[in-house]
Amino acid sequence: MTKKRKFKDILYNTMTYLASSVSVIILVLIISFVVVKGKDSLSFDMIRNDYWSQNYLVSFPLDKEKKFKKDFELEEHQAFSSKYGIVLEDSLNHEKEEQVIITYINDGSPFNRSIDESIKNQEGPVLTVSLGDQMEKLVLINPDGSEENVGIIYSDTAKEMIDAMDSSESIKSLYYQSPGGGIWGSLVATLLLIALSLFFALPLGIFTAIYLNEIADKGKLSSAIEYSIDLLAGVPSIVFGLMGVIVLYPITSIFKIEGLSILLGSLTMSIVLLPVVIRSVQESLKVVPDGLRMASLSLGASRTQTIFKIVLPSAMSGILSAMLLAISRIIGESAALIYTMGTFINDSPKISEGATSLAVHIWSIMSQEQPNFELASAISIIILGIVLVLNISVKIISKRLDRKLGY
Amino acid sequence: MFRILFTLAALVSASMIIFIFVFIFKKGVAVFLPSYPNPINIWDFLSGLTWRADKGEYGVLFIVINTIISAFFAMLIAFPISVLTALYIVKMSPKSIRSALTTVVELLAAIPSVVYGVFASAVIVKWVDSLAQSLNYSTFGGRSVLAVSILLAMMTLPTMTSLSIVAIKSVKKELEHASLALGASQTQTNFKVVLMAAKSGIFSGLILGLARAFGEATAVSMVAGNRSIGPSLNPFDITRTLTSTMLSGLNETSGLDYDVRYAVGIVLMITILVSNAAINYFKRRIGSETK
Repeated sequence: MTKKRKFKDILYNTMTYLASSVSVIILVLIISFVVVKGKDSLSFDMIRNDYWSQNYLVSFPLDKEKKFKKDFELEEHQAFSSKYGIVLEDSLNHEKEEQVIITYINDGSPFNRSIDESIKNQEGPVLTVSLGDQMEKLVLINPDGSEENVGIIYSDTAKEMIDAMDSSESIKSLYYQSPGGGIWGSLVATLLLIALSLFFALPLGIFTAIYLNEIADKGKLSSAIEYSIDLLAGVPSIVFGLMGVIVLYPITSIFKIEGLSILLGSLTMSIVLLPVVIRSVQESLKVVPDGLRMASLSLGASRTQTIFKIVLPSAMSGILSAMLLAISRIIGESAALIYTMGTFINDSPKISEGATSLAVHIWSIMSQEQPNFELASAISIIILGIVLVLNISVKIISKRLDRKLGY
Repeated sequence: MFRILFTLAALVSASMIIFIFVFIFKKGVAVFLPSYPNPINIWDFLSGLTWRADKGEYGVLFIVINTIISAFFAMLIAFPISVLTALYIVKMSPKSIRSALTTVVELLAAIPSVVYGVFASAVIVKWVDSLAQSLNYSTFGGRSVLAVSILLAMMTLPTMTSLSIVAIKSVKKELEHASLALGASQTQTNFKVVLMAAKSGIFSGLILGLARAFGEATAVSMVAGNRSIGPSLNPFDITRTLTSTMLSGLNETSGLDYDVRYAVGIVLMITILVSNAAINYFKRRIGSETK
């Protein structure tokens, strides 16, 4: 080898090594970015909470004088009220605004027995102020009978609020907010979407795959069907969204559903999923040995019996991986769902109403004036986790399938 | 009985693509027809260089140009990287690295586009912004043609790599051995024989990658910036792609501004089909030259 050749080879090889490292770098960058940015926002509370804060106006029943003792150490930015037995803390909410939240309520505290004041002229139901709620505004009655307002809207800190509460006679009313910024509604909507989409897509996809693989003669019709499914796989997802609104909307209106809905989203997703399901089931049908079919047929089973009792059970792992791939596609889909389910975050999603899946939830908070990267990254961690686990399981399943077939 | 059911299922699945084309075409064309309450001129639409919903000006030409520019830059970055990655995976890597790297590529393909979008609008825009500042340009917070291109390069990389892997794997061993026997080095063989022989499959990867780049919506919308006038030729300028146009302000719109998105959808599908045809033509040209 000449020197020049050697030099060129080294150059080319270095280029190849560098290029191959790019994929690894991108994966590491993305995962570490979402983990670093989102890990502080990710919590069980964030998963369980509603996205929208609820506002409450409450008052407290008159109580005889009580003194509460604290049997624990306070952390920084916390303050304890010996009169009411609660701890308040300064913190930032998910939109990074200053908040004062309740972090401790003594069992005997009147805060456990507040009365809903928003219902006019009658005693409202008993509400419990819960931990994590944000104190917005307190109207206090001073010993001289005058009223005093404190709260976050007067930019008081936890300490100032506690001092005012302890030096006052009683509380006239409290206006507080439940913590928002949670993803519970979107999580439920995503699960509903997955269940419904699979309900529509799996039978249609599996039956189509059976037709193509078991029934159809290799002719013009079956190759035309295969070709149109290939075309379907190449359609951008936003175009599926356009399609859903005009082609599938009439179907949802049969059920008297007005406007965008989870049902419309899942019908659209079932079309998006068709190529994935059909291809993956077809692959697994193809590797079912013909001997099995022949044996079943020669024992007198009908064609349909053979398909349902022999072929499908042998292709079960393929159907399972089709299902997992489909779920991972549904969780990741955004453009088609923005068109068919809307971008309004719904805390109590119903099939007949619009809602956001987790991915669209991210889109929704990213398209606000001040995008909330922490919350978006926290949801991304959840999505990435699920999607990566699903894809790795598919890989393991197909590897086991290969081994079973002796590849 | 079940036979009919299976056949019916297959026909329904196959007819979906026809439904998509027919209905979107019908709805997209409707805005140009005189029967529409306030129709827009089809010529103004196709040759227009401004997109301002508030003034009722809908011109799609510059958006097509912007879409093609950003996809072209993305391919410029991603295509060589993906081909070389595939070459490394198939021909040069030790077995342990091979399966790990294949898994990495598959996982990249599985990452949802919103996650890419969050990453791009937090990290890539900052890179672009600091690059622009070091070159004495100003950006709108980094949202730019360049940011879109880098994002699309990242997103199309796994697609193209997977297809190139398949193509390179199917190259016959004999070709390689012949080249080695003639005295070519392994590297020479990889680049001049293997890649050339796998060309056809590699180009179908390019077609798929390009289609994904054109059709990618949510992530691109997060970093495009939605410029309303003229093509963006400066890489640090904000841009507007077909898909970002279709998504922008979607939930607060109706009437013409909503319906015109179907026309944009038609343009998007035509752009994808034309670019596929162009690559196929290009592929045939290269094929005939080497023969």
